[in-house]
Amino acid sequence: MSDIIIVDARGLSCPQPVVLAKQALESSKKVKVIVDNETALENVKRLGNKLGCSVSVEAQSGGLYEIQLIRGADFNKDQLTAAEFCETGAAPSGPFVIVFAENKMGRGNDELGTVLIKAFLHTVAGQAKKPDVMIFYNTGVKLTVQGSDVLDDLKQLESEGVQILVCGTCLNYFEIKDKLAAGVVSNMYDIVEIMSSASRLLTP
Amino acid sequence: MKDKKSYDVILFKAVSYALKAEKILKNEKLPHKLIPVPKHISSDCGVCLRIQVDARDKIMAALEDKVDIEQVRALEDK
Repeated sequence: MSDIIIVDARGLSCPQPVVLAKQALESSKKVKVIVDNETALENVKRLGNKLGCSVSVEAQSGGLYEIQLIRGADFNKDQLTAAEFCETGAAPSGPFVIVFAENKMGRGNDELGTVLIKAFLHTVAGQAKKPDVMIFYNTGVKLTVQGSDVLDDLKQLESEGVQILVCGTCLNYFEIKDKLAAGVVSNMYDIVEIMSSASRLLTP
Repeated sequence: MKDKKSYDVILFKAVSYALKAEKILKNEKLPHKLIPVPKHISSDCGVCLRIQVDARDKIMAALEDKVDIEQVRALEDK
């Protein structure tokens, strides 16, 4: 039996498990990869198959999988890059964007809409999967200035890496540019670019 | 989550009471936050007021006889 390299890829998301598995295969004929989710499992399996390895999978308790990869005769490490194995189930390439076009949620009753937008933002701030970017325009910009009831949620989201873009024209129109308290002043170029490249665009 | 303050939530019999209570507390400048009713308390789509435990007595006094309160309970942090 030749040496086996064990790659512990638990807690890692694509492309890391694939990258690590590929690196290991470059230095050893036999590699065992431990992953904790099905996406990583499928991606590593595909890597193995594409590289001409024999692939066997053992499901372990606790949602873990052990994938054994054994290099075949026609193993060619330069064939493909790791990123190419990360299509299925992996995060789509564009950002997840939430657009706040108003300082209310829904139409019909403004008082209710004001309550709902507060509840919405508080809930977004508590989600595990946070948006990459939040865009505020028209009356939506009023959510980002001093005196807004959602500032603490916005600041929390911002501190956790969510990009907050606030329409400068809109701040200007409402004459509240000097009161901006969360996010950065942005422009139509950035807004169009991000909205166009979004993998998901959500408007409350 | 980010701070170690302990919170209570005030649940109301209707959304309109939650809004009324929010207005009262705003006028009295008592700290509060309108949040969706946490899922572990009720799966209904409702809103409630989150308050700091140390301000509870003042807040309850301000709301007394003005709004119908269903329940005040601790908001267990996740």
